[in-house]
Amino acid sequence: MLDRLYPYVVRIAAALFALLFLTPVFWMLSLSLTPEGGSLFAGGFNVSFDNYKTVLSRAPIFGWMGNSLVVSAVTTALVLLLASMAAYSFSRIRFPGSKVLFVLFLSAMMIPGEATLIPLYLLMRDVDLLGTRVSLILPAIAGPMGIFILKQFFDGLPKDLEEAARIDGAGFFKIWYRIFLPLSRPALAALGIFTFIGSWNDYVWPLISISDKAYMTITLGLPMFQSSYNQEYALPMTANALAAIPVLIVFLIFQKQIIKGIAFTGGKEM
Amino acid sequence: MATQTLAGRKKTGAPARAPRSSLRRQGWVTGVLMVLPYTIFFLLFSLIPILYGFGVSFYDWSLLGDKTFIGLQNYVNLMQDEEFHANLLNTVLFTAVSVPLITGAGLLLAVMVNSIRKGQAFLRISFFMPYVLSVSVISSIWVIFLQPYTGLLNRVLRGIGLIDSEIFWLSDSTLAWASIIMATLWWTIGFVFVLFLAGLQDIPESFYEAAGLEGANRWQTFRYITFPSLSRVTVLVVVLQTIASFKIFGQSKLITGGGPAGATKTVVFSIYENGFQTFQMGYASAIAFVLMLVILVISLLQTLLLRRFGE
Repeated sequence: MLDRLYPYVVRIAAALFALLFLTPVFWMLSLSLTPEGGSLFAGGFNVSFDNYKTVLSRAPIFGWMGNSLVVSAVTTALVLLLASMAAYSFSRIRFPGSKVLFVLFLSAMMIPGEATLIPLYLLMRDVDLLGTRVSLILPAIAGPMGIFILKQFFDGLPKDLEEAARIDGAGFFKIWYRIFLPLSRPALAALGIFTFIGSWNDYVWPLISISDKAYMTITLGLPMFQSSYNQEYALPMTANALAAIPVLIVFLIFQKQIIKGIAFTGGKEM
Repeated sequence: MATQTLAGRKKTGAPARAPRSSLRRQGWVTGVLMVLPYTIFFLLFSLIPILYGFGVSFYDWSLLGDKTFIGLQNYVNLMQDEEFHANLLNTVLFTAVSVPLITGAGLLLAVMVNSIRKGQAFLRISFFMPYVLSVSVISSIWVIFLQPYTGLLNRVLRGIGLIDSEIFWLSDSTLAWASIIMATLWWTIGFVFVLFLAGLQDIPESFYEAAGLEGANRWQTFRYITFPSLSRVTVLVVVLQTIASFKIFGQSKLITGGGPAGATKTVVFSIYENGFQTFQMGYASAIAFVLMLVILVISLLQTLLLRRFGE
């Protein structure tokens, strides 16, 4: 009896959990679409975009998102470029000392970014990069995870792929960008998604490096804007919605690839 | 016999390879050049900062004042710093509660969703969605969500009769931690969930067929087939979660501001306050180094555990 009911119990429980998980997001949208103290469902379904207009006139939300976009996109592009080059070299060329270097990079994966906050702050200050968007990009590229993930992927590609190209006289560099890069698109996409989300959501390093409002990322600017509202909720929630909606739209469009990418990279991590 | 063939091959192979040695050297050059760009970033923004930070931890260095070498004094002070001890204890307790909770809940959701075909995509999206939001967005949503009188959580709890007076979530230290844990669960469970789901989908159908033939019930199947097959993923999830929990900062800074009365401050909070509010660079570096050691130990434990359970 219990056994026959089990599939239904699981379905109902899963649906309830899903609703529970979606509630905060729906509630965010509902607060943002109604005036302070109002309710979306009081007196019919009254939608107003006034909060959005007010928030956009008071805070450079789009500017912050632009900063986040530039920082995350440049970080991701550079990580993919540098990590795939290095991973290819480690996987296929193996110069003297390459194994030692790879192990050194690998062991650096255990070092938390939080341990380098102080020295990075001091070093960036010394070279006058503190407070710039560049200061947000540079340390993120130094993470070795990409090399590890791509090397594993490259190691799995069959050797005879490049043998033919070698016979035709192609050099290692050419083989990398003509054969390896196109073949590893799924792995690059997965790593790219992982890197982009990580960079977009970084909070502690921007908090320390950036003080000029104009260079803030959305993750940093949002709480700063919200901190001036104490007993009001509609405007802070609208700012949340503004920051979340583009991310959620991108997520919903590419959800399959994003979830796969996170599972792939996360599962390979360390 | 085998060695003879090998040796023979080596002999015949040697002259053929000799002219290629210049190509091989060219290969080395390309190899080095391809590793070089990343290596420069690694040196400048990872290795040098770590060594530099370790060096700084032996100094008394307030950013605006002088820099004096004090040896291990920062580490000695750290051992007597009650606030640091409290923050460390907070971090350990948070880790001890949130890791089993999020891992267990993530596994439960994954097992549930894995058994559902119709609507699986919808469930996957629902559970994973919060993970793509930033810590700022999720923190602010939860702060407003938890407000007394106006927040949705209190209103719902009152509506269904579970409470009859307002709960002030962020004013009590235990409830403040409960709030941070709830928010963290909601935010990060998607990551754990997709790792377990991927692990579940890798278990061969034949394992379950065998269990079915043996007449195993649902619990026995989970206990003796599913869970052991997930041991690698489980170790990975536990370690990743433990490390992430040890580094918690954003939620505590943004949801509770470290309060009430410092009850939700963490180790990274200590680094932040000592380094960037009172500008004691040496002391903050010593804390950072302790954090790094803790995380190194966890990572090494993981390597050992994976070697035992994995492969």
